[in-house]
Amino acid sequence: MILFAVEMVAWAVRPPFRLELVLTQMAFIGVGSAFIVGVTGTFAGMVFALQMNFALKQFAAEAFSGGAVAFSLARELAPVFTALMVTARAGSAIATELGTMRVTEQIDAMESMAVNPIHYLVVPRVIASLVMFPVLTMLFNALGYAGGFVMGVYVARIPIGPYLAHTQEFMDVDDILHGLLKAVVFGFIVAIITTWRGYAATGGARGVGEGTTRGVVASSIFVLLADYAITFASVGT
Amino acid sequence: MIEIRDLWKSFGDNHVLKGIDLTIPKGETFVVLGGSGSGKTVLMKHVIGLLKPDRGAVRVNGLEISALDGKALTEARQMFGMVFQGAALFDSMTVFENVAFPLKEKRRRQRISADEVRQRVTEKLRVVDLGEEVLERWPSELSGGMRKRVALARALVSDPQVVLYDEPTTGLDPITTDYVDGMILNAKQALGITSMVISHDIASAFKVADRLGVLYDGHLVAEGTPAEVRQSQDPFVQKFLSLWFEKQ
Repeated sequence: MILFAVEMVAWAVRPPFRLELVLTQMAFIGVGSAFIVGVTGTFAGMVFALQMNFALKQFAAEAFSGGAVAFSLARELAPVFTALMVTARAGSAIATELGTMRVTEQIDAMESMAVNPIHYLVVPRVIASLVMFPVLTMLFNALGYAGGFVMGVYVARIPIGPYLAHTQEFMDVDDILHGLLKAVVFGFIVAIITTWRGYAATGGARGVGEGTTRGVVASSIFVLLADYAITFASVGT
Repeated sequence: MIEIRDLWKSFGDNHVLKGIDLTIPKGETFVVLGGSGSGKTVLMKHVIGLLKPDRGAVRVNGLEISALDGKALTEARQMFGMVFQGAALFDSMTVFENVAFPLKEKRRRQRISADEVRQRVTEKLRVVDLGEEVLERWPSELSGGMRKRVALARALVSDPQVVLYDEPTTGLDPITTDYVDGMILNAKQALGITSMVISHDIASAFKVADRLGVLYDGHLVAEGTPAEVRQSQDPFVQKFLSLWFEKQ
């Protein structure tokens, strides 16, 4: 897989640059995943706000709920949940599509027509993931905070002034950037693993199914490992 | 011209090719006959560089394909057209997009106009007896015979010097089989293309071949004109051919 990733990087800087394929993949990975990421973000924010309110109320500190929700979303929940949801929706589809192309000789056919399949099939998917994972993460952040705001201010009756003030107090741009850095890394991990699993599929429909399952499981595990590594490197113990 | 020298290939303990030597002169149609699993497709995939040999060399028009990698191999493949056993049409593209695919890629390098692409696609589809009504259809909407014909049009659209046919008549009815045989002969006569055909369809093989070879147990056990191979004393060749000729 490492050789595959190195080959992908080598082809990514070679012309021709297939902008139309990158845009198609951005639409599939990004626009196509916006609904499920938005729904997940909204509910995650709502639930987290209620839980924070419940926990902090015991210390008469419920006004800090807004800050806690925004901080957790930006640094942790948004990039990780987004990566897992996009892996399930788009990553599985990528592995299946490339796997089917492999076992029906469509990838061999592409090679026979003097077109490198890594250049044509893999590079656009990886670039689209690198761009769209951060965009989806920001969508998750925005809707998650909005959901948390509605729960905190209108359901839990936390005064709006302290709620917003503590959000500003807790958060700064670095927290957002920390989450976006994770999103870029997760986008690369998910795109490389799922394309590789599809690209290397063998043995017909069963092989495609196995490749897809392995791609989704490996992507999820590596996202969690990378999340830990980046967090540890950033905040230490 | 295709030159194969001492070609060996194994997959684990399965020794598929054991020292194949073969020369196919420019403009000749050579058919490789053999039973299922005899390594015919493996041999063909070496010619276009989809597989690397364990030992030996493959040269096409003077270029050592087996020694090329990356961009050099990709560029060398511009001289080929290939028809795959299952047609291998891109199922996310329409018929037009499939046939235009090699041209559009070539267009990036050679500035072929969009109008010329369309004209050449419709022209090649007409040659395989398909009209403009199929242009916007998806491969899943075509019959097996139509898919093969679209694959043939796609292989010929960029005017290749060498065309490789992997089981071009497998699964086709007799009329379509006869049609595809005619296509292979036409491509050779009209365009002077060097062709390598992989088949276990003996009738088709004897019809289209200038010369043919029989692959068995990793070796070419017979090689020559159809008449010479018919007279081969090799026991496998005799059995392989007699079963079919006795039925006729």
